[in-house]
Amino acid sequence: MLPYVARRAVWITVYLLFVLAPVLALLMGDLPPARDFWTEFSSAIAYVGLAIMGLQFGLTARFRYVTEPWGEDVIYHFHRLLSLVALGLVISHPIILFIVDPARLRLLNFFQAPVVARWAALSTYSLIALVVMSLWRVQLRIRYEIWHSTHILLAVVAIVAGMIHMIGWGYYLGDPEKRALWIGLSIFWLGLLFYVRIVKPLFILRRPYVVTEVRKERGDSWTLAMQPHRHPGFRFIPGQFGWLTIWGTPFKITGHPFSFSSSAEVGDGRVEMTIRNLGDLTSKIHEVPAGRRVYIDGPYGAFTIGNPADMHVLIAGGVGITPMMSMIRTLADRNDKRPVILLYGSGDWESITFREELEALETGLDLKVVHVLVNPPAGWKGEKGIINTEIMMRHLPPPYRDHEYFICGPNPMMDAIEKALGEMHVPLAKYHSERYSFV
Amino acid sequence: MRRLLAERLVFATTVIVILICALFAYLRVAT
Repeated sequence: MLPYVARRAVWITVYLLFVLAPVLALLMGDLPPARDFWTEFSSAIAYVGLAIMGLQFGLTARFRYVTEPWGEDVIYHFHRLLSLVALGLVISHPIILFIVDPARLRLLNFFQAPVVARWAALSTYSLIALVVMSLWRVQLRIRYEIWHSTHILLAVVAIVAGMIHMIGWGYYLGDPEKRALWIGLSIFWLGLLFYVRIVKPLFILRRPYVVTEVRKERGDSWTLAMQPHRHPGFRFIPGQFGWLTIWGTPFKITGHPFSFSSSAEVGDGRVEMTIRNLGDLTSKIHEVPAGRRVYIDGPYGAFTIGNPADMHVLIAGGVGITPMMSMIRTLADRNDKRPVILLYGSGDWESITFREELEALETGLDLKVVHVLVNPPAGWKGEKGIINTEIMMRHLPPPYRDHEYFICGPNPMMDAIEKALGEMHVPLAKYHSERYSFV
Repeated sequence: MRRLLAERLVFATTVIVILICALFAYLRVAT
């Protein structure tokens, strides 16, 4: 297997090829008469914008070999930002054309414009609606499931309408071979969606899990233990996560990402996820009855333990402890005595999830647990407040740049820790983080 | 930092895409 850096380079090249090659293919063979530079430029950016939109289906298709070198959170952030780029390109297309020839402004009159221009307008408006709903979903109070269905519908409309506009205009796609190439590409993009929403759920449906235990943990959290039902399950690497569907089938858009908290060394395929009550779907975890059939799409994620020779510094905030717990439990099962320091931020002493188990594990492993409490009890002699540079430098042995850092917690904590590690001159390659609020 | 990685990737992609589009237009006009 190629190292992550090489795999990343391969995927960047493949991505750019998929976006740019179909546009450059328009330059081959018989060409229509050339227009001015800006008109040609505006045509090119429209084609590229459409190609980027189409490939968005591939970015969120959870192809493991694509996401693995990056981490799912990076891919989702890339997907979100690229939609803004695609929107910018698609909107720039008519704006440039209007500047080149202001007489084209009459095309903005939807009812009097030719049909082919109406398709362009429909595509652009769908893309604008899609981006607005994504950027301000929470403020607009749109439920996640409703937003997700609408998101897919608007994306399909934007692509199909854009394609009809380009074929209808008939400038470059008047050529039958180029038309076939772009229609084939559109079918490929929509095929990615078909794979994600129909084919993949069918596979997951055939590999259900059964809830064997729902266990109360400290910190308003619950652990779901799940056993594969009539299949061997999957192997995961500690630190990875899965998309869990509890209510409904994998066809419903109800999957949510949760880290595995159990050891990766459990032989019978059993997995555990520890979920904190954050007020949404997570508030109903304790109602899940034992024996319930659930579905897990996974494992995913590049947030996994590294070189055994290096000190591992695990920095967890709240329920961000779950992937760390999987790492520590796995090290215990493997009798792996590599040095590990866990800096663990919690609200108060009573809400420290896995507190007693961590105390027990400290004796069997080369593990040091440092609790950092926002609201410490009276007489507390440990660390207070939030994890910062001073706390890290007090507990970590220098040189700081030689350790491997793993960070998981709420976004403000992650930002603060990443800034602190920068101040400690820890190179980027040495720290690994995963944000659990990336969707 | 993970976000920064994604942001750098998007920036690089955007620059490459715009340059290629400009090249496309140039080739069309110049040839």
